[in-house]
Amino acid sequence: MKELQDLAQSVEQGQVQKVSGLTQQLLDSGVSPQTILNDGLIAGMTVVGEKMRSGEMYLPEVLQSASAMHGSLKILKPHLVREGAQSPGKIMVGTVKGDMHDIGKNLVSIMLQGAGFDIVDLGLNVSPQKFVEAITAHQPAILGLSAMLTTTMLNMKTTIEAINAAGLRSTVKVIIGGAPVSQKFADEIGADGYARDAVLAVDKVKQLLGVTT
Amino acid sequence: MNNRLEHALNCEVQDQVPFLPAIYEHKAWFVGATPSQVARNADLLTSALLAEYERVQSDALIVGIDVYNVEAEAIGCSVNYYDGNDNSVPAIGSKGAVFQGTEGVASLRMPDPQKDGRMPLNLEVARSIVKLLGKEIPIRAAISGPFSLAAHLAGPGPFFLLTMTQPDLAKELLKFAAEVIKQYGKAFIELGCGVIVFDSHASPDLLSPQMYRELVLPPTQEIIRYFHGLGLQHVPLIIGGNTTKVLDAYLETGANNILCDTKADAKEFLETCSKARRAFRRNVDSSDFHEVNSDEVYHRALNSLEESGGYPGFILGTAVLPYGTPLSHLTAMREAIQEYKKRASSV
Repeated sequence: MKELQDLAQSVEQGQVQKVSGLTQQLLDSGVSPQTILNDGLIAGMTVVGEKMRSGEMYLPEVLQSASAMHGSLKILKPHLVREGAQSPGKIMVGTVKGDMHDIGKNLVSIMLQGAGFDIVDLGLNVSPQKFVEAITAHQPAILGLSAMLTTTMLNMKTTIEAINAAGLRSTVKVIIGGAPVSQKFADEIGADGYARDAVLAVDKVKQLLGVTT
Repeated sequence: MNNRLEHALNCEVQDQVPFLPAIYEHKAWFVGATPSQVARNADLLTSALLAEYERVQSDALIVGIDVYNVEAEAIGCSVNYYDGNDNSVPAIGSKGAVFQGTEGVASLRMPDPQKDGRMPLNLEVARSIVKLLGKEIPIRAAISGPFSLAAHLAGPGPFFLLTMTQPDLAKELLKFAAEVIKQYGKAFIELGCGVIVFDSHASPDLLSPQMYRELVLPPTQEIIRYFHGLGLQHVPLIIGGNTTKVLDAYLETGANNILCDTKADAKEFLETCSKARRAFRRNVDSSDFHEVNSDEVYHRALNSLEESGGYPGFILGTAVLPYGTPLSHLTAMREAIQEYKKRASSV
C-alpha cells in the first residue's frame, strides 16, 4: 500500500508532522492500527537501524526519526489498546548506579520501540535495589543494563547479584551494553546476552524471546 | 625540565616515547578519597596531583577530576556528587540542563572564571601546581570542547536533535559555549598553565563527518586560534571513537596532540600526522584493566608502540582509567616504553 510505504519513508526521513498526518489519514481510511505500526513505523525504523549500522545515519538523524515515530505512536496507542494489540514483549532499560550517560540507553529504547516492543525506562543512575523493585512491579521479559564507564560497568554485576538475591533471576533475562563492556564480560557476570550497538540489541532481544519477525 | 612531550609535539627525536595515561577520577585514589571529595576540595586535588606525579611518572600532569562538568556547572547545570565512600564519578544529571531553547542563549549567563562554580577551585589548584612543579613537568588544565559543553547545557539528546530541527539555534549555543571555553582557558594560560580540550560528544561514533565539519569545526578552530594568540603553541584536542573518519577535519582544527583511540586506525594516523607534522596519542585499550594482569598491559603497550614506526610525534596513552587501577599496570606501560627504546636502539 503506497500510503504505508510513504509513512515508512517519512519515519526514516524524520518528518515529524508528515508522519503524524499520515498516521491519522490511514486510521481514518480504515487501516488497522496494527498494520500502521508494523508496515509503517516498524518498517521505517528497521531501515533507520540498518542505516545506522552501515554508517549512513548518525545520532541526530536517528533522534529525528524517533521523534516522528513517537508522534505517530501517540496517535496510535489508544487504538492499539482498544484493539487489544499485543506487543512482542516488555523490555526494561536503565543505566546502572553511578552512570549518568544515557545516549546509548536511549538509542536502544528507540530501536526497541521501533521494533514494536513496550519499553519501561528507569533512566539514569539506577541502584540495584531500584532495578529489583521495578522488576517486581513491571515484570519485564528482558532487562537491558547500560554503562559507559569502566568504573560503573562493575555495577552491572552487583545489579545481577541483587536480582539473584531477590529470587527474580528466573523471571527476567538480562542483556548488557555500553562502550567498555563485551561478550566476555557478559559471560563473567552471568548476563544472558551482550549487544555491541542498538541495532544488535534488537536482534539479541528477539533471539532471547524467540520473536521471528 | 621534562621536555619529552614538547619534543613530541614538535615531532623532534627524543630519548623515549612520552607517556600520557588519562587519569581523572583515578587521581582521588592516590589520596584515599573519592572523586566527589577531591573534585570539591582544592587541597585534596593538589595533593592528588602531587601523588600522581610521584607515583605514575607520566610526562605531563592534568588539573581536573570530572572533565565536562566544571564549565556547565558554572553556568547553572546541577552536578550529582556522591556521599560517603561512593567512588562514582560526579556527573550532570538528566535534569541538569539549563538551556531550554525557547529564549535562545540570551537566558544563559556567561560565567566568570574567577567566581563561578568550581572554576576558581581548579584555577587555584593550577596556580599551586604550576608553582610547585611547573619547572619540572608540563602542566595542563582539562577543559570542555564546544560541542560537549553545548550538549551538557541543553542535555545530550535534546542538543543532538536541535542540530537537525534548529541548526541555527544549535550554532548559536555552540558559539556561546566557545566563548565560555575561551575565557576559562585564558584564565589558565595567564597562570602559565597549558590546556587540553575534550570533546567526546563530537565523536564520529555519534555525529557524521559532514556535521562535524559544519557544526563543530568552526567553533573549535576559533577556540584553538584564540589560545594560539595567547601564546599557547600546542593545544591538544581529545575526541574518542573512530576519529579516522574525521582525521582531515581534526587536523584542520589546528590542534596538536590529537587522539588515535583504540577504535581508530593507527596506520592512517601515522601516515597523515607524519605529513602534517602533528603529534598524536595512541590509546592502549584499558576497558578491562580491572581484570587483566600487568603482563597483559605490558604486551598491549608494546604492541601499540610497535605501531608507532618510530614516529617522533607518537605518544602512548590510555582511555580514562577507572578509579583504583593498579599502579603496577602503569609501571608495566612505562617498562614497555623502556623495552621499545632498547629494541629500537639495537636495530
